[in-house]
Amino acid sequence: MFLKQIDLTTALRPSYLTDEVLLFVQDNVGLYEGKYKLPNQQNGQVYLTSHRICYVDKAEPRKQSVALDLKDVERYEFYAGFLKSSAKVTLIPKPSKRSSLQSRSPGLGSAPSRNGTASPLQRADSPLRAPPVDQPPASTATWVCTICTFSNPVPSNFDPATANVHTPLPPCLACGIKPTLTHVLKAAISNATSRAPNSLTPSLQTPLPHRSRPVSELSGLVSEPSTPVGTPPPQSADPDASFQCPRCTFLNHPSLMVCEMCGAQLISHDVPPELRQIQDRTESPGPFLNPAVASLASNPDTPESVKISFRGGGEKIFYERLKGAMAQRKWLLQGAPPIPKSLRLGDSTSSLSSGGEQGITGGRPPTERVKTAGIAGLEQRGLDRRKNNEIVIGTAFEDLEALMASAKEIVALAESFARQGNGGKNSARDNALLAESAAQLGLITTKDIVGGADESLYLSELARNLAEFLTDDARGVLRKAGGIMSLVDLWAMFNRARGGVELVSPQDFEKAVRLWEKLKLPVRLRTFKSGVMVVQSRDRTDDTTIKALLGWLQDLHSFPPDRDVPWDWQEFGRGVTAQDAAERFGWSIGVAEEELEMAEERGVLCREEGIEGLKFWENFIDTGEGKSYKTKEQESAESMLRALRQAGFV
Amino acid sequence: MSPQPFAFPREFFFPPFFTRQTNLTTHHAQLIKWSSLILSYCRHHRIYKLSLSLSPSSSSTPDQSSPDAAQPQPGADELFHNPRIDKRLSLADIKETIDFMRKDGRAEYVAPGGAGGDVVWIYWRSPEEWAGLIEEWVDGTGQKGTVLTLYELTEGDATRGAEFHGLDPDLLQKALGILVKRGKAQIFGQEDSQGVKFF
Repeated sequence: MFLKQIDLTTALRPSYLTDEVLLFVQDNVGLYEGKYKLPNQQNGQVYLTSHRICYVDKAEPRKQSVALDLKDVERYEFYAGFLKSSAKVTLIPKPSKRSSLQSRSPGLGSAPSRNGTASPLQRADSPLRAPPVDQPPASTATWVCTICTFSNPVPSNFDPATANVHTPLPPCLACGIKPTLTHVLKAAISNATSRAPNSLTPSLQTPLPHRSRPVSELSGLVSEPSTPVGTPPPQSADPDASFQCPRCTFLNHPSLMVCEMCGAQLISHDVPPELRQIQDRTESPGPFLNPAVASLASNPDTPESVKISFRGGGEKIFYERLKGAMAQRKWLLQGAPPIPKSLRLGDSTSSLSSGGEQGITGGRPPTERVKTAGIAGLEQRGLDRRKNNEIVIGTAFEDLEALMASAKEIVALAESFARQGNGGKNSARDNALLAESAAQLGLITTKDIVGGADESLYLSELARNLAEFLTDDARGVLRKAGGIMSLVDLWAMFNRARGGVELVSPQDFEKAVRLWEKLKLPVRLRTFKSGVMVVQSRDRTDDTTIKALLGWLQDLHSFPPDRDVPWDWQEFGRGVTAQDAAERFGWSIGVAEEELEMAEERGVLCREEGIEGLKFWENFIDTGEGKSYKTKEQESAESMLRALRQAGFV
Repeated sequence: MSPQPFAFPREFFFPPFFTRQTNLTTHHAQLIKWSSLILSYCRHHRIYKLSLSLSPSSSSTPDQSSPDAAQPQPGADELFHNPRIDKRLSLADIKETIDFMRKDGRAEYVAPGGAGGDVVWIYWRSPEEWAGLIEEWVDGTGQKGTVLTLYELTEGDATRGAEFHGLDPDLLQKALGILVKRGKAQIFGQEDSQGVKFF
């Protein structure tokens, strides 16, 4: 299966693989398989990473979220959208069977041997890549009504491969008579065969300024395997020449949209996006995938393409970043040999650098190395390593391309420098945090990663990011703070973890934190009555806090206090101060005060003010008598009522 | 007076009991517990009038005698001060408790001004209840129509078994006043030798 189920983090974001980098996020997207909508995946967020495209469903993220690996993608296409049809990116998987020929496509095979300066964008559009086949179907296809001979358009969702007797067909636009299925089928098939040659004749499209796409222009160099043989229509190379109607072959003026003779659409699908007004829609008119039909239609030999429909915009940035990701092919980096070293240096330095390279990657030294022993050998090795580091850094910063390619090594180097540089000066915790920040780089949500016009998506992503940061077991931010920490502390820690780049403003931070409730994330914001805002995990409610407090106070009944106390500690336990509670639960004192007062407010604790300060005790004062207690008036009223009832008046 | 010491409830040895609680329900429960403690303490020691100001004035000399060695004089000092856990209910809190009891008809300031005085009646039996008891006693002993002096009623040998034996004279006056109002008794005579006739 092309689409795979994925694991989500606690914050309902896809859990990233090692070395995976988030590139783009866009909400309000839907998925199609082939031409059909996937009914359960119509409103969600799409995450483009260096390795995958993940779809996270909004309604049922745990069940319906899927991902596809970029390495399985054969081709990808962009469809700008037309009228009510949203912009889409189509991803066509590699065929599973013909792997020997097809997957070893020249573009892929040449990846390791490419020279370092080649631009990835050029390679992405390389003419050696297979050209797109999938034109938006049938927008030019027509069927002629047998009653009134009016030429009707074949509905866009009509697929000859899957159509059967039950496929709904629209009646004739002029006379309202329904066509037979075979009639429409014939029309669609004949259109498909006659349309294919059009893509082979780029010169035909050149007179129309907005029609051609760069991909389709390049596609002329290689003939498509799936293209049926068709005779190319007569064409004129002259740009000033008129444009031939695909239906009646009348030569129209190039600026016309509709054929002068028969009224057929001359411009169908390649209208540039600037001409359309962008509208936000969640409902799309396309048909949904019927499981029965899908099983019939899906052929194991030809896996269905997957379309991502962008109903909230953002498709262009997604496409650009996808192009970049496909060009970089980060998934190959794992287990790939180190980048080829620069050969500009002389022979002596190149052998040195190769030795140093192994020093970093942890391999064994090369055999041709001069053997030295003792202190001289150690010194030599140190020298080698320094030289090599110099080379790595030098080549890495030469241009951005090279930096991207050697990012892994540079990060490793930066981490080792950080460890050496401030060893012992700062506390161990700060060090750990700094070292982590480098690893953290790939996971951050920045404003330019996130698509969408308003900042709501950025905020929701930030909220998820924060929730992950808090609940991450490895870091244990929340756990170290006793499960509760003030918002200000979190803000400072979060920004520090970001390593000084892309800091979050307090306003954005607060807005994002307030989204937790809405996004059903496992952390929550709590405001104490003094106005202090704290964050804590969702499962830690007031009740659990009270339970913990009571359990602690119960323990004090059985453990003797440090010094003799005048009261019966076995019966009453001991009073605790906010300081005690803070120590016991790892809270800050302010939080402890608030929690104790909350428990008092609930009537679980009571207070004792003394020379030693405010202490809190288990509540032995209110033991339930208060409810049965009645004032005299109530009692007399009740007795009166009783008497009346006995006398039968009431 | 009663020979055996008063058995304090367990809250009396609970330190927070002497601090005014901020939580309203807890505070309410605290007031109830204090008022029932005051009532049962006064009933035990047959105290009718309680002087609140005793506690701060005697606070300077509480510790010369160890609490266990000599039984302190029954009264507000023993009631509102627990020397074992070194806790004392503050005068403001005592007054709040008394106010709570007043609303319930279980206490009353002796001074007619009300809040100004610091001596309060503690009605572990209210005047109405005392009046009822006296009436019952008169009925039971067949003394309707006879004339009794007030001294006879509270200190006389005939009432030795009755509950109102040793009743405070002022409180007796209040109780009899209620009976008079109901038309069950009549008081006559001078200040020091008053008599009462029951109907």
